[in-house]
Amino acid sequence: MAAAVASAGLRRRPGGVWGAVARRLLQVTAPQSQSRDKPETRHPQYPGIVESTEEYKFVERLIPPTRIPAPPKHAQYPTPSGWRAPSDTPPALPYFVRRSRMHNVPVYKDITSGNRRMTVIRKIEGDIWALEEEVKEFLTQLAGKPPPIQVNEITGSIRIKGYFDNELKEWLLNKGF
Amino acid sequence: MIRAGSRLWSRGAAARALATSAGRLGLTEAPVPSPHVVDAASQAEKPPLVTPSAPVLRDCCLAIPSHRTAVQAWVESLRHYEDRHVGLADLHPDVFAVMPRVDILHTVAVWQRNYKRISYAKVKTRAEVRGGGKKPWAQKGSGRARHGSIRSPLWRGGGIIHGPRGPTSYYYMLPMKVRVLGLKVALTTKLMQDNLHIVDGLDMPTCDPQYLADLARYRHWGQSVLIVDVNKMPENIMKATASLKTITLVPALGLNVHSILKHETLVLTLDTVAFLEEKLLWHDSRYTALHPFRLPYSDFP
Repeated sequence: MAAAVASAGLRRRPGGVWGAVARRLLQVTAPQSQSRDKPETRHPQYPGIVESTEEYKFVERLIPPTRIPAPPKHAQYPTPSGWRAPSDTPPALPYFVRRSRMHNVPVYKDITSGNRRMTVIRKIEGDIWALEEEVKEFLTQLAGKPPPIQVNEITGSIRIKGYFDNELKEWLLNKGF
Repeated sequence: MIRAGSRLWSRGAAARALATSAGRLGLTEAPVPSPHVVDAASQAEKPPLVTPSAPVLRDCCLAIPSHRTAVQAWVESLRHYEDRHVGLADLHPDVFAVMPRVDILHTVAVWQRNYKRISYAKVKTRAEVRGGGKKPWAQKGSGRARHGSIRSPLWRGGGIIHGPRGPTSYYYMLPMKVRVLGLKVALTTKLMQDNLHIVDGLDMPTCDPQYLADLARYRHWGQSVLIVDVNKMPENIMKATASLKTITLVPALGLNVHSILKHETLVLTLDTVAFLEEKLLWHDSRYTALHPFRLPYSDFP
């Protein structure tokens, strides 16, 4: 490429200062082009262009994956971070609460207009009303009075007034979800 | 009627092999076709009926969650108009048995209609209408109402105040996962409403469009059929569907919610089912994009 650029420069401005510079450039690049064409006239110090694909593995290991891996089997649960695996067999209940894509229990806090605190349980499949009954019973024991609960059958989620995320996470984990 | 009976009897081997599955599903024998359809088919040239030795059974390659089981559908064939029970296919429940979210179907269908829309309507305001720089008559003395220009919006031929202004784009993008869920819900609805048919391949005995139309009518596929395939489609079906208005052939990458809802029946090949399951399920367990998906990732589906 350098040789082509140099020769193009020569063609545009013949003679003069550019001629000397181009001639020097051509002299430098000549061994490379010569070594590519004629192996016999290869200069001992300039071996020419050698293509190697050995180093591509350093690039490949930097390209990120897309899929979230399944968590490995730990010796003891809970793990040091407090994570617990779901049970291998699904619990014998009329409903099922799936884990999130990062393998966590899908209980989230929500807040609107600064003071309306809510807890959401998402990804519920099966009989959502049975889960609602059990949640109502569990939270009545905790809070003394039954908190307002909204069931959204279509999206499979339950919304509860107040912050109960840690208790509900623990409760669902104990059930085996 | 007797001819129909003998044809059903000769396919007894395949029927018996699938008896257990059929019994499990609680399915009965296929309904006897109406006489005029049988006569039309028998009068035409009958291609040889090739009964496969074993039923085509398709398992779900991708892991199914432990609390769910696969949904099933018959595998049919286009080689003969009676080839309705060639095998049984297991379909992944997270693609073909999701919650029927009609609101998501509506959202995605409306998006499909509107995101390409550019409305070119434009009207001139009083500044753009030709003329109207001069005050038509003096402010006082003429007895008429006071006006400053003949192109004000009060005047006939004047400019429009709040009309459409210039090409307007209605482009917006729904999140990728919403569009993916829309496809899953559409496939689920088609399966649950008995409008989804799985076909082992698109090999046809003839390139006659009438054969395909008669087959669709015999099998009660509905007014319009959408056939989807992944690989290069055989010549016969391409020629047959080229002249038919109600039967459309589409590559798997062109599958969209609007087309699925527009056509009454959806016909997928086994390769298409595998392709769709792989592509649609990848979204359930993928990281959020670090960089656009058109740039390289190590395990992009």
